[in-house]
Amino acid sequence: MFKIIFTIFLISISAIAQKQMPNIELSSIQGKSFNVSKDFNDPDKLYVFSFWATWCAPCVNELEAFHQNYENWKKELDIEIIAVSVDDSRTQKRVKPFLNGKNWNFNVLLDTNQELKRALSIVNVPYTIIVKNKKIVYLSNGYTQGAENELYKKLIELK
Amino acid sequence: MKYFLFSVSLFIVTISYSQEEKKDYCRIYGGFETNAQRYLEYENQEQDNPPVFFRSNNYLQVNYEIKKFTFGLQLESYESKALLNYSPGFDGTNIASYFVKYKSKKIEATLGYFYEQYGSGMILRAWEDRALGINTALRGFRFAYKPTNDINFSTFFGQQRSGFDISNGKLFGFNIDIDLNNWLKLEESDLSIGFSNVNRYEKIDEVKTPNPDFNPTTNAYSFRLNYSKNIFYSSLEINYKNKDGVLNRISNEIIENLARSGSAYQWNFGIAKEGLGIDVSLRRTENFQFLSERIPEPYDTERSSLDFFDKVINFTPALTKQHHSNLANIYVYQAQAGVEFKTLEIMKSGETGGQIDFIYEFAKNSTLGGKYGTKLAVNYSSWYNLPGTYRSLPEFYETSFFGIGEKYFSDFNIEVKKQVSRNLRTSFLYVNQYYNKKWVEDKPVEVNTHIAFAELIYNINDLRSIKFDLEHMWADEDFRNWYGITSEFNFNDKWSVFAMNLVNYGNKDPEESKKHYLTIGSAYRKGTSRVSVSYGRQRGGLVCVGGVCRFVPESTGFSLSFNTAF
Repeated sequence: MFKIIFTIFLISISAIAQKQMPNIELSSIQGKSFNVSKDFNDPDKLYVFSFWATWCAPCVNELEAFHQNYENWKKELDIEIIAVSVDDSRTQKRVKPFLNGKNWNFNVLLDTNQELKRALSIVNVPYTIIVKNKKIVYLSNGYTQGAENELYKKLIELK
Repeated sequence: MKYFLFSVSLFIVTISYSQEEKKDYCRIYGGFETNAQRYLEYENQEQDNPPVFFRSNNYLQVNYEIKKFTFGLQLESYESKALLNYSPGFDGTNIASYFVKYKSKKIEATLGYFYEQYGSGMILRAWEDRALGINTALRGFRFAYKPTNDINFSTFFGQQRSGFDISNGKLFGFNIDIDLNNWLKLEESDLSIGFSNVNRYEKIDEVKTPNPDFNPTTNAYSFRLNYSKNIFYSSLEINYKNKDGVLNRISNEIIENLARSGSAYQWNFGIAKEGLGIDVSLRRTENFQFLSERIPEPYDTERSSLDFFDKVINFTPALTKQHHSNLANIYVYQAQAGVEFKTLEIMKSGETGGQIDFIYEFAKNSTLGGKYGTKLAVNYSSWYNLPGTYRSLPEFYETSFFGIGEKYFSDFNIEVKKQVSRNLRTSFLYVNQYYNKKWVEDKPVEVNTHIAFAELIYNINDLRSIKFDLEHMWADEDFRNWYGITSEFNFNDKWSVFAMNLVNYGNKDPEESKKHYLTIGSAYRKGTSRVSVSYGRQRGGLVCVGGVCRFVPESTGFSLSFNTAF
């Protein structure tokens, strides 16, 4: 019982919660280092962080859908899609050929030992986060066929 | 009841405050996850006396960030007990891990529990995977320093988490990664190197190991070299482990007079250009199991901490394709990195082999590409024991560097993904596998399989869609043939239902001749939360995530999963 009370206490002090990306650095597929809370903060720009893995079929479908719409979205919105790969060392080497095989042109970050995934308490991928002016403004857990249309509506709303 | 209180109270508070917004200087974030099962029946009920039918794993993580400091806490609760076949160390409700972290532009210092990986993890990977019941976080101190953008240095000392406790081995490590491009003024190519060392100290138990031919301290080293130019890339990793006692997994003792060093070599290279990717991985590992306690903690006559990936310092992933089809995940290879003398004939000292991937996109509006393009992926992997001389009594081995020994596993597969129209997407997969169960697991069979898999996804409208998976596996041994049908209906982008039936038939044992494993379920997601319920029969066998597998007994029951983040 003590533990439960303790937990509730901890959570209740969180009324001052502020939704931002955690202060974590990840390496991009090109080997460049990015701080997810500090390097994506152009004023009013929409940053879409999409968590995925090479072995996750719905993730790949989601990014495929983003890829198909990306050019059109960019015409209407100030937007950048960042694909965060949670592949661990088993499949991480496949990320690079995979991206090229797919012709995707997103900025790809590697969360090799799941530091960012853990900090954001992401249980399953795909998982999508929209950040605007350093604040997390939208989160979505999972992907079903066609969900990119909902995401697009959301993006227009947030514009 | 305890479980109920725990989860309901957490859930209520979580949602009640998560809407609020506030000041700029500090913030709280974290998440909650629960996986609960009400078993109606399960195998080996006699092992638990009385059997425990309600089981759940619950995790609450809270982080508090103020200026440059982060305070974190993870609570875990396994009530009434942990889900079937989780490590016995996960028992009851308790604080599982905590930390304080300071982070500035150049420095990061952590006190408490932390996760860490050097290179690809072959000498060190402290990680968490809840689905597999792995948590090998380190408890101690970690310091990282980044003097320039080109140099990353980190060091730590600590002990590994095991259940709600820590293991005996004391670990120290350091790692440095250097980007050489600026220094060498490389413009068109990219060169980086890395070096790490992990040192484990564990007192030798002189009663169990009277005349040790190895030191209490064991060092492991890793050297890495990454290079890329234009479309070509290569990464080489060389790992070495000092002479150390070798474990006999059956008797759970250190083998007398067989102290050996270990090594692991991995070379990955390939080309990546628009529409084309080719990737090759070659790896040879010898005696490369690295444990925080040389002798795993025994739980009963058959199982020890090693069977639950507990007290393991490093990680050697199986380099094979992770399949999306259910049936292609029945015979899943697990890397054989260590020495294992199983019987008079089955003697392993590691593994050697490789994997190749070929990924190609037929362009849109080409003959094979059609209106939407066609994606092709071909993959082949094959793994073997190390060639050499083996003797069982007394245990002895001597390997040669090149060549192959007994075959463990191979997998050849072709996948084609094609969008047919605006609303219809299809994907087809063929897999041919060989699985040497006799050498990799315990059952004296070798299995050859052919698997065909087809998937159709049809968008009824912008939000509503339906998915069908059909698959069949022809297997010549073990459980023999299987077929599977999965169908999923998405009412909208938030709510879906599914039904899956896997059927095993053709089994030689008449009692097992036809078995259905039917599961039905539904999932609902909103924002950061996802809840899913299902009812059905779970196939006994390996449940694998990322090439690491956990054995689960066959069971029937209801399951509930919920997760949320704030």
